[in-house]
Amino acid sequence: GACRVSMSTEEIRAGFRAIKANIQSRDPIRSLSILSHPHSLHKVQSSDRCCITHQLFTFYVDKVFKHCRTEDSFVNRKISSIANSFLSVRRKLEQCREQNNCVCGEESTEKFKQILANYEGLNVTSAAMKSLGELDILLDWMEKSR
Amino acid sequence: SGELYCSLPNPRNVHFESTNMKNVLHWSAPEGTGDGVLYKVKYAVYGVGKWIRKAECRNINRTWCDLSSETSDYEEQYYASVKAFLNGTCSDWMETTRFNPLTDTKIDPPMVSISSTDRSISITLTAPEKWKRSPEEESISLLQVYPGLQYNVSVLNKKTKKRWFFSISNNTLVVPWLEPGTAYCVSARIRVTTPLLDSGFSK
Amino acid sequence: GDALLPAPQSVSILSTNMKHFLTWSPVIVQGATVRYSVEFQGEYEREHANGSWIPISECSLTTATLCNLTEDISASVSYQLRVRAQLGATSSAWATTRGFFSRAMTSLTPPQLRVLAEGQHVLVELADMGPSFQFRVLYWKKGQESRVQQKVVKEVSSTVHLDTVEAGAEYCVKAQTHVEAINRSSSFSPTQCVRTQGDTSVWL
Repeated sequence: GACRVSMSTEEIRAGFRAIKANIQSRDPIRSLSILSHPHSLHKVQSSDRCCITHQLFTFYVDKVFKHCRTEDSFVNRKISSIANSFLSVRRKLEQCREQNNCVCGEESTEKFKQILANYEGLNVTSAAMKSLGELDILLDWMEKSR
Repeated sequence: SGELYCSLPNPRNVHFESTNMKNVLHWSAPEGTGDGVLYKVKYAVYGVGKWIRKAECRNINRTWCDLSSETSDYEEQYYASVKAFLNGTCSDWMETTRFNPLTDTKIDPPMVSISSTDRSISITLTAPEKWKRSPEEESISLLQVYPGLQYNVSVLNKKTKKRWFFSISNNTLVVPWLEPGTAYCVSARIRVTTPLLDSGFSK
Repeated sequence: GDALLPAPQSVSILSTNMKHFLTWSPVIVQGATVRYSVEFQGEYEREHANGSWIPISECSLTTATLCNLTEDISASVSYQLRVRAQLGATSSAWATTRGFFSRAMTSLTPPQLRVLAEGQHVLVELADMGPSFQFRVLYWKKGQESRVQQKVVKEVSSTVHLDTVEAGAEYCVKAQTHVEAINRSSSFSPTQCVRTQGDTSVWL
């Protein structure tokens, strides 16, 4: 069966929009992307969408947000808001996995390996900040493929 | 050609102005420079990073450059950069922030066409099209780009000055049982909730 | 040291219609102005960020005994809050909310609704309650309570057109709020009925 998760990206979008310029200005590396190159999320087959989404939410919760602390209290509060929203959504995705509606195919496994390789190719703070700055790439893909 | 010694002040406020994904790079002339300043423009796809010169915007004296064609894939994000030249000297390259055509564009109001009988009005709304290279190219409605697109329609009774609002997802609205012989003014806007994009109201 | 200044008491969260506030009793020190600082911790901070706390700058060194948490409690997870008193270089111990708070615990009140009829059109005016809110509006012709119709209203910019109905009939309307983020609804507003104008003569 399909994995239907009721979630509002509007709140995450609003949080990200408030800090996008600040976060992206901390990422000077234009020639590398964590999520969109060399393979675009938009090429992922629909059958693998749930698995990739769950892997990415886990990736952000476990690896990214904790290395994004800044000197700016407002930015830190927005990152907290986004991180807690991700935690809430990941819990729902986990329920899908437990009901076997979120199967990981070869393509999503391969795609996620590429993302981790991109991430590990940078020092952890740069990689985390770049990943956070690419949240709109993730949200655009999630909303487009609704 | 080797780079000249760059002591010219930099172009300022280099940014994209985008409407319906017609993406135009704009900037202000360097401070204190009169006429005669020329500019070069380059752009890069985020994640690829290789700068590509925009040939049609080489040695131009205007302060804008249409990069719609180069940034038409809205699944990608972009940077653009401008350099100024005057009397044998030049400025640094000045870059935009990261540009996301999907979330950083503005949307025009919908086209509104109205027909009426003596007691009802029928309103048909048409969302604007995404910018395209040439009239022959296939049109893409912004409805296809933003699936959650909705219309807010306002109907003003010119006699009572009362305004009613309708929120619709499809593009037609019929308002029956109106007052005969009364003028009604209709305007509409587009609302996309995520990403959050609102057009202004149509005239 | 810290022990001299007592921690704030009666720390509690007031939450209505997705607006969340922390309140506490003032710490009284004769002839001195006591200030307070508030911090929050979401489930993410508790489980993935070493139990870190995040200060709310608007409520740092404030003299108020109230802090607006709405912007920060913006995810459907459980939160804890803490507040301490400060007087010069002296700080009290932290007073932490007992148990966890989740925004799903907010109390939802019925919407303020005003129903109008203009000709054969039934219109409603709903007070704006913020971006989290939608309104479920039920309406029916008086006497036909079994044939209730529904409309979900998301935009509350002034007068919303509900429906075009029969002339010269009485229609009743009530509404409740719905917050998708917590998947909860308020109770219904009192019912309001209006009579539509327009002739009811029949063409023979």
